[in-house]
Amino acid sequence: MNDNGNKVMSAKEAVERFIHDGDELIIGNYTVGTCVELISEICRQDKKGFTLYSQSGILDVDMLVNAGCVDRLISTYVMRSGGKTGGGAVERGLQDGTLEMEDYTNFNYNARLMAGMHGLTFIQVLEGVMATDLFRKRSFMGEDKYRVIQCPYTGKQLLTVPAANPDVCIVHVQRADKFGNAQYWGALGSVAAAALCSKRIIVSCEEIVEHDVIRQSPHFTIIPAFRVNAVVEIPWGAHPTEVLGHYNRDLFFYGMFTEANKRAETVKKWMEEWVYGCADREAYIDRYSARFGIGMLDRLRARSFYSAPANYGAAFTSAWDVRGRERSTGLTLEQLEQRMAERGMLYE
Amino acid sequence: MNKGYTLNELLIITCAKEIKDHQNVILGVGLPTTAGALAKALYAPHATLMMESGIIDFEPLVPLNHIADAHSCRGFSYATDLFTAFTMTYRGFVDVCFLGVGQIDKFGNLNTTCVGDYYRPSLRLPGSGGAADFISYAKKTVLTLRGGQFVEKLDYFTSPGYLDGGDSRDRSGLFPEGSGPSMLLTTKGVFRFDEQTKEMYLAQIHPGVSVEEIRKDIPWELKVAPDLNQTERPTDREIQFVRHFAPTESIGRNMRVELAIANTMQRAQRRGKS
Repeated sequence: MNDNGNKVMSAKEAVERFIHDGDELIIGNYTVGTCVELISEICRQDKKGFTLYSQSGILDVDMLVNAGCVDRLISTYVMRSGGKTGGGAVERGLQDGTLEMEDYTNFNYNARLMAGMHGLTFIQVLEGVMATDLFRKRSFMGEDKYRVIQCPYTGKQLLTVPAANPDVCIVHVQRADKFGNAQYWGALGSVAAAALCSKRIIVSCEEIVEHDVIRQSPHFTIIPAFRVNAVVEIPWGAHPTEVLGHYNRDLFFYGMFTEANKRAETVKKWMEEWVYGCADREAYIDRYSARFGIGMLDRLRARSFYSAPANYGAAFTSAWDVRGRERSTGLTLEQLEQRMAERGMLYE
Repeated sequence: MNKGYTLNELLIITCAKEIKDHQNVILGVGLPTTAGALAKALYAPHATLMMESGIIDFEPLVPLNHIADAHSCRGFSYATDLFTAFTMTYRGFVDVCFLGVGQIDKFGNLNTTCVGDYYRPSLRLPGSGGAADFISYAKKTVLTLRGGQFVEKLDYFTSPGYLDGGDSRDRSGLFPEGSGPSMLLTTKGVFRFDEQTKEMYLAQIHPGVSVEEIRKDIPWELKVAPDLNQTERPTDREIQFVRHFAPTESIGRNMRVELAIANTMQRAQRRGKS
């Protein structure tokens, strides 16, 4: 960050500076609009040894696992690429022993982020899973996956999970300002908590907007600027997943990935072409357009359906009225200063 | 040219100087909100001004009525809730907060709850509000005392300063290391806390006030900085800002109420209402 608080940089610079081998990395997005270009850049920089957190693994998790960046995965849901005919990167990693995984329920995973976000060291979760293997079968977290305590008020046995405070969150949103105020709308999932529980935050956005736009709509801000380390403007940054208000899911292209991801050899080719073969998102879109035609993207572009504006206005924004009189006393500055002097209130 | 300034203006301007650029600041009710506006305008353009109500990063345009006053600005950057405002403090994201004082002891512990017996108080004060949590976890806390008093022993211990002095605050294990009150501003002077003993001492004195006069308010043997000097004179730019932004705070509550009533009555008379 420079002295002006401007955190805008390229994906390359953001990943180089703020993501390190061996980090606990969390994907902030949940099921939609995921930060595909940031993930591609991480793959290109060949980062290693992550413990990866993801609420729900889709293309994003599988890309990172395919690229060999992930040693350990904490999630609640793993994508399959083709029913029984082909699993995906996570399945392959578990089968060949290159990946360890810890399974949680959606609620329990999200609770870990909430605890981390709020500075709690653990949090109570829904105890039903105590009857299941989610509770019994433990991987690299061992005893610390779940612990049981007694409620000091009721005496009941309560289930708890530890707080999560990953080293770095990557997250894609609709818009942000150069300071890092990140605005996101649509399915909220666990997006804000994933970002706010983390030590560092990299935000990619479809659009960098003027600070005024943020000021006029604070209810859309999910991450305040002072928490953010890097802001990267990446139009189409979540393609082939969807971003509300920008574009729909590219089912055709997503399907291409899913097909390829059934087998290690085929997904390797896909990654060569669409990740390693593209220097950045612009190159990726160029390649896509050259291959399939820009019309394929055009038909995904969102039409307008704007939220109703909320009025943040007040009766006045100055202590002085249009005639230059202070509103409550009805006096001009000159008259007020005269009164101060008359009453001996002024120090020289 | 040096403009004359009121005591209130001096207090606001002295308070504002505690805010540095790029800091995250929790503003308290009253004087600190105007101090925050001044700091943001003049010395700390990238400070993030916050209120515990969940209004984060705002730029005040008029004096605030209270700590949930979104009418004081044109929008803000982040709308969150009170719970999150406190947990972000707990996690260490707040650099400085401002608190008012009812009673204070020599180690900067505060009472804002009651005077007299807690169960049958002679004065029931507002209570903790955000005070106990903020002074616990903000990196530093600036205290302001206008109507309050210095006491040997608090009637009610609302908010933790340096506990029993020395390293007792850090030793308790309850607070981030190095946190605690950094300054107490009163209508007579500026007090700070000794680095070793954590006992407050008089650091600066406002114009026209004597050390003896200050000692009269304080029930223990007050220590005075060897280099005691007068509180820094506000610049014309600072005075002009405060007077333009918050003219009614420049003149103070009593005069404001008096003039406002007079104005309202005159207006009613002109319109034949009384």
